[in-house]
Amino acid sequence: MSAGNAGGGTALWQYVVMRLLQALPLLLGIVVINYLLISLAPGDPVTALVGDYPAPPEYIEQVRADFGLDRPLWEQIALYVLNVFRGNLGFSFANRVPVLELVLERLGRTLLLMLITIATATIVGITLGTLAARRPRSLLDTASTGIALAGYSIPEFWLGQLLILIFAVGLRWLPAGGYRDVRLELSGLDLWLNMLKHMLLPMFALSFRYMAITTRLTRASVLEIMNSEFILAARARGVSERRVFWSHALRAAALPIVTIVGYNFSFIMAGSALVETVFGWPGVGRLMYDSIFYRDYPVLLGILLLVSITVVIVNLLTDIAYAFLDPRVRY
Amino acid sequence: MKRVGIFVPLLLAALLLAGSLASAQAPRTGGSLVVALGADPEHLNPTLTTSYPAGAVGASIYSGLVWLDETGRPQPELAERWEISADGRTYTFHLRQDARWHDGEPVTSADVKFTMENMLGPYHGRFRNAFALLEGIDAPDDYTVVLRLREPYAPLMSLLTVFDAPILPKHIYEGGNPLDHPANYNPVGSGPFVFREWVRGDRIVLERNPNYFDEPAYLDRLIYRIIPDDVSRAVALEIGEVDLIWGVYLPAADLPRMQANPDLDVWQGVRIPALYFLFVNTREGALANPKVRQALMHAIDREQIVEQAMMGAGNPNVGPFGAGFFWAYDEATDYSKLYPYDPAKARKLLEEAGVRSLTLRFVYDSARGPFRTAGEIIRDNLRQVGINLQLVPLERSVMVEQVYTRAAYDLSMQSFTSAGDPVLGYHRIYMTVEPGTPFVNATGYSNPEVDALLKQAAGTFDFDQRAELYRQAAEILAQDLPVLVLFDELATEVSNKRLQGLREALDVRDRLERVWWAE
Repeated sequence: MSAGNAGGGTALWQYVVMRLLQALPLLLGIVVINYLLISLAPGDPVTALVGDYPAPPEYIEQVRADFGLDRPLWEQIALYVLNVFRGNLGFSFANRVPVLELVLERLGRTLLLMLITIATATIVGITLGTLAARRPRSLLDTASTGIALAGYSIPEFWLGQLLILIFAVGLRWLPAGGYRDVRLELSGLDLWLNMLKHMLLPMFALSFRYMAITTRLTRASVLEIMNSEFILAARARGVSERRVFWSHALRAAALPIVTIVGYNFSFIMAGSALVETVFGWPGVGRLMYDSIFYRDYPVLLGILLLVSITVVIVNLLTDIAYAFLDPRVRY
Repeated sequence: MKRVGIFVPLLLAALLLAGSLASAQAPRTGGSLVVALGADPEHLNPTLTTSYPAGAVGASIYSGLVWLDETGRPQPELAERWEISADGRTYTFHLRQDARWHDGEPVTSADVKFTMENMLGPYHGRFRNAFALLEGIDAPDDYTVVLRLREPYAPLMSLLTVFDAPILPKHIYEGGNPLDHPANYNPVGSGPFVFREWVRGDRIVLERNPNYFDEPAYLDRLIYRIIPDDVSRAVALEIGEVDLIWGVYLPAADLPRMQANPDLDVWQGVRIPALYFLFVNTREGALANPKVRQALMHAIDREQIVEQAMMGAGNPNVGPFGAGFFWAYDEATDYSKLYPYDPAKARKLLEEAGVRSLTLRFVYDSARGPFRTAGEIIRDNLRQVGINLQLVPLERSVMVEQVYTRAAYDLSMQSFTSAGDPVLGYHRIYMTVEPGTPFVNATGYSNPEVDALLKQAAGTFDFDQRAELYRQAAEILAQDLPVLVLFDELATEVSNKRLQGLREALDVRDRLERVWWAE
């Protein structure tokens, strides 16, 4: 992670470019392995395309030829990789539109949900974890441990259904699904507020687990740092307790927290497939779920590639963040 | 005097009652209707697919030559009247002259001819059966269409609805490839609603067509909401985010809760019959012996399946062609009489067939909840007679491959719709077919006698004569049992109590323009 050259902006840029170049063969490998895995899976995508009643065999052959499904596997893969480098992610079997168009149409809604989820999980998690660490074995500490335990063990989709039962069916405070009220003509601020209302439950269902992870990790990390020698030294120098905590301890404790936030990112992306399905949130996660169901390979491959790229970028950002947090790390 | 004293208040009461009934029955214009769908349509060109959601949305955007009323009788839509020649081979349709496409162009006989020849014929799973029998389609003038058949085809009229023969605009599709035409996503129809927007995964919005050739719709807007999760869909109906759900999108387990909900109307009945059955792989092994298949039928408790897997929404008193087409039903081949639930009899038949231990693979589509419940009941039933049943839930596309392409199954639960006529829906279950075609006879059973009888039935208009042919075919099938018919499904629909005017047509997805909101 810390590669040679000390300090300086140009060094950082070199590092970023080098890391991105290194990622290329990795992504290529991911594309090929994904393609192979998917073609090994049983199930014929053509059956999803033509309805529930026997379709004319010539029609099925035509669809197969249109999508290149009648060619040998290696040829399909080579063609796919070539197209990806040209920025063409292929054509959706099930929706009969370009994959890129399909994904971009929904990407905004998924990013919105994910960013709010991560922000909430991180802010609430760090706050709870810090408070718990500052007063170990207090009521707050015990409560946060309990919440964290629940967060670890409850599956997201089940939590989602539970939230719907409580807040949509029981209390009727929040909508059960969708991303906006379909009966109303909405625009501007009204639309945003309406979307926010629809986002609360999926956001909570998705963030609960990561809030718990972040809480536990922050608590452990802060506790460990607060007992370390440099904190003792700072205290001995007469630095105020508040300053010891905010300037010394928190910065040092932040390293593992940054790691876990980057790690959470990729898992939240995966979790969004189930949560988006439960809440009928029309995002990329649900598109992924549908594309598995319909054997819509081009869409599935496109989304997996997108997820891989995101993970590579988030890992890179995490590593860069280290340099700002820890003066010992240089690129 | 005394008699008047009683008569006057009675008369007044009658008048008041009549008055209140009249006001309760006057349809009101306005409002929007939200209907739940389980998945997006692939596209909005229903000539290319027979999928349920595409048919549902297409039914409100496009028109057919006719529509079928709730008893299945054809009623005028784009065709205002028609004549059928005495030999049943020439159909002449006279089109309405006031029908317009949503872009203002007139609907003419050229559109009908173009749609049938270029889209429905080559691509539509059901219409192509009729198309194969067509000698030619003539358009002698702008408002006359003549269909000439090589041989009579009994179900032709029921194939001319918006579901099996939607008419699309020639001036838009001409010259392009229908498979990826932009109009498939931005449809121009001639139906009661005009397409407005489609946000994939979320909603499809249609608006009233003010220039509809028939009486304009009562509803301002028709919104299809796409909710993939079963539980979330049911909840959306219960809390009023959705107003109407069709049976296919409603898990049977939720029915009792819906019935208890005072805001909802639960309707159940027979419209387009649908058959639930087990395909038996008759190609080899013990199942190649009809006696073993008869034993299975005796061993399976169909009443329990209807009660527990379907929450009562089924009829187990059925023959090889169900019981939904009352004119074709024959008590003599009713399986509940021929093969009543009788494990002792089943054991005896198995013994006679020399079967000692048997393990069978029960393959089904894992997305179908009732199939799983039925599978569990059948596993239990068969254990009583010494047969071990392995439940194999598979995703739909994998199930299709295993059952229809590779015949890698012993028993497979399926449900087929009749599409309004046994010729369209049920012949495919028993007729000899090319192996590898999905959603047809997967059993390997091939009986030339049955094939001939069914083929003759397809060309017979007279219901009594057709019934006789079915009786003969049923007699053979009831002994051979290549397919274990379990029950007829009752159609289900759950709607907001204030919704009026539903189910005017045979297909519950049709005629939503007649639906309105009561006060």
